[in-house]
Amino acid sequence: MSVFYERFDRHDAGEGVKGRSTHYCPGCGHGLVHKYLADAVEDLGIQNRTVAISPVGCAVFLYYYVDAGNVQAAHGRAPAVALGEKLAHPSSIVISYQGDGDLASIGLAEILQAAQLGIPITVIFVNNAIYGMTGGQMAPTTLMGQRTTTSPEGRGRTMGAPLRMAELIAQLEGPVYVERVALYDNKQRVKAQRAIKKAIGLQVENRGFAMVEVLSECPLHLGLTPAEAERWVKERMLPVFPLGVKKDATATREIWPAWKTPIVDPAVVHAVIGGAAERVQRFCTRFPRELWGRDIALKLAGAGGDGAQTAAMIIARAAINEGFDATHIPSYGPESRGGTSYADVRVAEEEVLSPAAPRPHVLLAFNAPSLAKFGPLVADNGIAIYDSTVAPDPPRLAANVIGVPVPATAIATGLGRVTVKNIVALGALAGATRLFPTDTFLTAIRQALRDKPALLELNEQAFALGAKAVAATH
Amino acid sequence: MAATVERPKPVLVPDSCKGCGRCIDACEHHCIEPGSDIDPVTGLVPVRIHLEHCTACGLCFDACPEPYALRPEFADAARASRPAPRATAIPAAEPIPDAIVELPPAEPLVIKGMYASAIGAILAGCRHFFGYPITPSTEGAELMARLLPRLDGQFVQAVSEVAAINMLYGAGSAGVRATTFTSSPGFSLMLEGLSYMMGARVPGVVVNVMRGGPGLGNIAPSQSDIKLACRGLGHGDSHAIVLAPATPQEMLELTMLAFDLAFKYRNPVIVLADAYLAQMTGRVTLPRTMVQPGVPSWAVAGDEAHRRNLITSIYLSETELEGENLRLLAKYARMVDEEPRADLFECGDAEILIVACNTPSRMAKGAVRTLRARGVKAGLFRPLTLWPFPIRALAPVLGRAREVVVVEASAAQLEDEMRLAISHANLATPPITRVNRLGGILPSHDEIVSCVVSGARAPALEATA
Ligand code: SF4
Ligand code: SF4
Ligand code: SF4
Repeated sequence: MSVFYERFDRHDAGEGVKGRSTHYCPGCGHGLVHKYLADAVEDLGIQNRTVAISPVGCAVFLYYYVDAGNVQAAHGRAPAVALGEKLAHPSSIVISYQGDGDLASIGLAEILQAAQLGIPITVIFVNNAIYGMTGGQMAPTTLMGQRTTTSPEGRGRTMGAPLRMAELIAQLEGPVYVERVALYDNKQRVKAQRAIKKAIGLQVENRGFAMVEVLSECPLHLGLTPAEAERWVKERMLPVFPLGVKKDATATREIWPAWKTPIVDPAVVHAVIGGAAERVQRFCTRFPRELWGRDIALKLAGAGGDGAQTAAMIIARAAINEGFDATHIPSYGPESRGGTSYADVRVAEEEVLSPAAPRPHVLLAFNAPSLAKFGPLVADNGIAIYDSTVAPDPPRLAANVIGVPVPATAIATGLGRVTVKNIVALGALAGATRLFPTDTFLTAIRQALRDKPALLELNEQAFALGAKAVAATH
Repeated sequence: MAATVERPKPVLVPDSCKGCGRCIDACEHHCIEPGSDIDPVTGLVPVRIHLEHCTACGLCFDACPEPYALRPEFADAARASRPAPRATAIPAAEPIPDAIVELPPAEPLVIKGMYASAIGAILAGCRHFFGYPITPSTEGAELMARLLPRLDGQFVQAVSEVAAINMLYGAGSAGVRATTFTSSPGFSLMLEGLSYMMGARVPGVVVNVMRGGPGLGNIAPSQSDIKLACRGLGHGDSHAIVLAPATPQEMLELTMLAFDLAFKYRNPVIVLADAYLAQMTGRVTLPRTMVQPGVPSWAVAGDEAHRRNLITSIYLSETELEGENLRLLAKYARMVDEEPRADLFECGDAEILIVACNTPSRMAKGAVRTLRARGVKAGLFRPLTLWPFPIRALAPVLGRAREVVVVEASAAQLEDEMRLAISHANLATPPITRVNRLGGILPSHDEIVSCVVSGARAPALEATA
């Protein structure tokens, strides 16, 4: 039995009796399950690869005994911890060992997700119908009528009926194998040994998630002798928790896709994160301080789908290409649904400070409500550019704010694609403000369309027409 | 059971037998019977075995819950003892160090703060992400979901933040660099897991994007998790380094730093951002190098070299736990000593010392410029580590200041961190004023300037003063 430590050093330093015996009560089923687990690991020749996840419950000290990699998990979270371990080192064989409170109560969400993901891990679920470690309270698997310290009159209707986890897990698509076994006689013990070995073996074969539910004895809290406890499991638990294979898709389940070693090659990483080496051409000779100083605030506002965010991104990118600083904050969350979409853009010679634009120098309004809402907030000597196709009435603006109408929707429709109205509007913004040279904007547009070169010509046309439209009116 | 040609008969080791009797029923040949004598060592009553009728069927072995109560008796002595090592006898693994490798040169990226964090994580060697979508952090998870598969990494959308932090615990236990991104309510859910990580010395990086609270609150920018991150990181005497970026650039840089610190100290590290930072697009210059992570000696890495390793936060004996607590405190003390970081702007002769972090520090910096232009000697002290608070950097400028103005989007949580640090350092402090906004509103440049110039107070101040 080499998979158990020679002495249980972690059990009170492993001295004396505690060095060679478990912390379990006499006759407790956990010890048997530990043995079957250890035997299976030995038989499969996987001791070096094995990682055991200890739960919270009586089996919390699994790591005292099993000579393998050991991780102790928070109550109920063993399957999540197991997944983290497995995905970190897929060649390891990860065994999550859990009791009924751990798996069927506090850790329900974690076990269901792990089972449904189907990632090859093995779960050993010890169901003894009671909370052992905390002193005999009601478990999710406690039988109807069973007295516990928290169901002193017996589990009644208002406390819900026992949860059949093997059946619950078996009806999910993810698991490859689910069986319920018991320990109460020689025959059942042989089946339990086989089931545990099979469930671990399926992970070794890289086939998928497997769980074995073991009906186990807690003589202490049942107040029975070990022999009586065995009978109790057989006579009382079996009718509620029928034994047998609940699911076995071993024959049909494909092997889990091959595990790959994560890539750390700098050239690949560089490409994946979008690093580009080519220098972007610059066209500005200096920051347009004469407009609104060294830190310019812009707000773009419209309905979702107007393309305000794209236009905002192009402005920010254009500024950064020129060596200036820029930020863009979109409206997000529920605000970005329900039809409105705002973007705050700041363009600064050296460093953007406040990234918000509550009093913008430039407003680009794609519809009448946005114009009405933000028009009055435009800063002194600012510009309010608006889509006059959809907002035909001149806006209410402060005396020293210039309103610039652009029939962006009409122009875009004329080009055969209404969605380029944001680029028409951007052209108008460039024309009306002379923020950056045309080539600066066109470069940023090209970058934005890197993956859609077919649309480039249309966008360039849209930009030019927008600029021309304001040149005529402005 | 291992298949053996010769099957052994059982030999009872009375010291290890608990007298449970499970073997008695198992033996069909009635070789085992209840004992009657109390074992002097265990105080229990072991069974008695008579092997006259024993067929070496092995059933008693499989019925005994104790690993060492029944010993197989082989005629061949060599086979009888297959010695297993003691946990403490196995030598520790050699650590495989991280490698720092050069990245090809790149033009600055124009990306969101959350993207910058994700890319920072990747450059720090992180290939494992576990997360649950929550606004306004979700875009980071989305980018990880796109990029990690291309690097043969792992992205898992967990069933909850509770599961996510425990997956992080698992991956951290395995010694790999892993992360999760979340926002305030999700961060609350992660506290139990974080406490376990600190207790079991498991590294990992959590990026928490602060939004308006309590409860669901809203998704606008806030700083009201400072208290949670600095003082309330789960149960127990726990601490983690808390980094506070202020730009998308720092989202990348501090996320990268967070991984190094997490593994340096075997402790989680929190990157505390605000919703604006997460959502904001800005210029991000890539570093010249990236990390190819090694394998720490303590990792539960699923191989022979690391087989002896154990990750646990359990110390049953009070004195042992106190000892571990003291070791953890010593580690935290080392962080306090070595890791405080701050950025000082115009602090050299500052009479008005503004203290701010995250996005509000940008407004504060603008306010300092405005105030300087008006002849007010203002300066900005920006802690990059909220815990440990950079008190050594603050002390000299505090001595020169006439007034301290704390600017923040919370009910004085940053101010409290500062006050606590000042108090522990026994420093005298000039009057402390605050400019704070709540509810997802950030203090504005104008509010800060007018507070300094005319003592005007932001609306939230009165309520929390
Ligand atoms: S309390 Fe029950 S489950 Fe726990 S060790 Fe004792 S018998 Fe086993
Ligand atoms: S090996 Fe079989 S026959 Fe011999 S004592 Fe054990 S159970 Fe009885
Ligand atoms: S089953 Fe094991 S512990 Fe129990 S009485 Fe028999 S030898 Fe002793």
